[in-house]
Amino acid sequence: MKRKLSIFLSLLFLVLLFWAQWNWKHLSSFPSIISSFYAKEYCSCYFVMELSEDQCHDFARQWVPISEFKLDKEILSVTVKGLGRTNTAKFQSKEYGCTLVNE
Amino acid sequence: MKHILFFTFVLFTVQCGKDLSPFGGEPNVTPLPKRIKPEWPSPDWKVVTPESVGVSSAKLKLVEEYAFTRTGDEADRKGRRTDGLVILRNGKLIYEKYARNFKEDKVHLTWSVTKSILQAMYGVAVKQGLIKLDDPGYYHYEPLSRDEAHKKITIRHLLNMSSGLAAEEGYESGPLKSSVIAMLYTRGRKDMGSFCANLPLRSEPGTHVYYSSCDTNILSAILKKVYGAEEYDKLPFEQIFKPLGITNVTFERDGSGTYVGSSYLYMTARDLAKIGYLYLNDGVWNGERLLPEGWVTLARTPAPGYKTTPYSDDLAQDNYTAHWYANTGVPNRGIHEPWPDAPADTFAALGHWGQMLYVIPSLDLIVVRFGDDREKAFIKNDFLKLVKESVIR
Repeated sequence: MKRKLSIFLSLLFLVLLFWAQWNWKHLSSFPSIISSFYAKEYCSCYFVMELSEDQCHDFARQWVPISEFKLDKEILSVTVKGLGRTNTAKFQSKEYGCTLVNE
Repeated sequence: MKHILFFTFVLFTVQCGKDLSPFGGEPNVTPLPKRIKPEWPSPDWKVVTPESVGVSSAKLKLVEEYAFTRTGDEADRKGRRTDGLVILRNGKLIYEKYARNFKEDKVHLTWSVTKSILQAMYGVAVKQGLIKLDDPGYYHYEPLSRDEAHKKITIRHLLNMSSGLAAEEGYESGPLKSSVIAMLYTRGRKDMGSFCANLPLRSEPGTHVYYSSCDTNILSAILKKVYGAEEYDKLPFEQIFKPLGITNVTFERDGSGTYVGSSYLYMTARDLAKIGYLYLNDGVWNGERLLPEGWVTLARTPAPGYKTTPYSDDLAQDNYTAHWYANTGVPNRGIHEPWPDAPADTFAALGHWGQMLYVIPSLDLIVVRFGDDREKAFIKNDFLKLVKESVIR
């Protein structure tokens, strides 16, 4: 019985490994979504739509919580850390709004 | 074994009984009614009472109640969350109200309504003779020349959301494999056009309608190549916004300076109504033709690729045209009109989280609704029914 279970678990692990490798490009970029979405949408909410800080947090919030947040009103940027990845969006101008800073 | 056979039989017959056969011919796109002496907002809309243009104030109250009655609080983001509503009849403003800290001079994110304004930018490029509808995209944009299959994608295919590229347009529902999320926030954000052009094909270009932000951002990247970066930067501002008197507007770009034509245009509700009014007037603004003849008809005609698109329930939810939405039904694909209680000639620009611009030529109405709906609580047909019922003559 034990042997059967260990064979089953190793097979399951192998399948998972294959799946992860197969989907690697999706998986590897996934954690970045949380901080980049938050940074970009908060930046536009605050600097383009000119809503309040509270309302912009409500606007950009997702199901996965973030761990760090910095709104810099001097250099007009928003930096967010979530799922171990950090992303920054910068306000360019009235015409062109916010853009995520290339990593 | 018997059970397995029975189960398989049931599985195969579940789809039977659904009539997928065509129920009619081509969609019926009626000509735009002639507008006698249209009013032009110069510089802004004339405000009049609803009754003076044949609309009932009492009935408009019901429209207001539908749009603005909140069913949740700010923290839970549930229910209908309308940020602004503007209604025009005969080119005059008859209703305007804002909520959640929006005002008439505050811009609002329009999400995918942006796509319909990009369609206007293409109208300008076609009118200037810089681009033809049936040009293969690779004539103007090198990333689409990667193989023979990609070379078949034309401007028309991209406008009709029929490129055949294997995009995945899921937002919150499927973040792992969503190409739109990867495009906007991770792998594609440096250069969205190139990221999208590198997707493999899932079907022959022109044969399969699949709503995809990737198609739009390839179009946006093509325009940058056609005009050159400097002219392209000015294009929407000088060729569309300026003639319409739109000054308070933001159009965001990706990491390579390409307009995010799929998602990131910010406008006021009054100004977005001007875009609707340009289309209601067949692409003519105050005597000057901005969009080529037939361009608005293209925006009101369901994509030809519907005929060969495999039927699905999702498909039946919209009548997608060339970067706008129609309400004609697509008879030759067995698809009914999405808003049966609105006039059949209603056409619209629609965006994520409840952004809407409706043009109803037969009633001479323009409706702009901004919102932040995080769930499907705002039912377009119910809302349009109330709007239609407010017109008394």
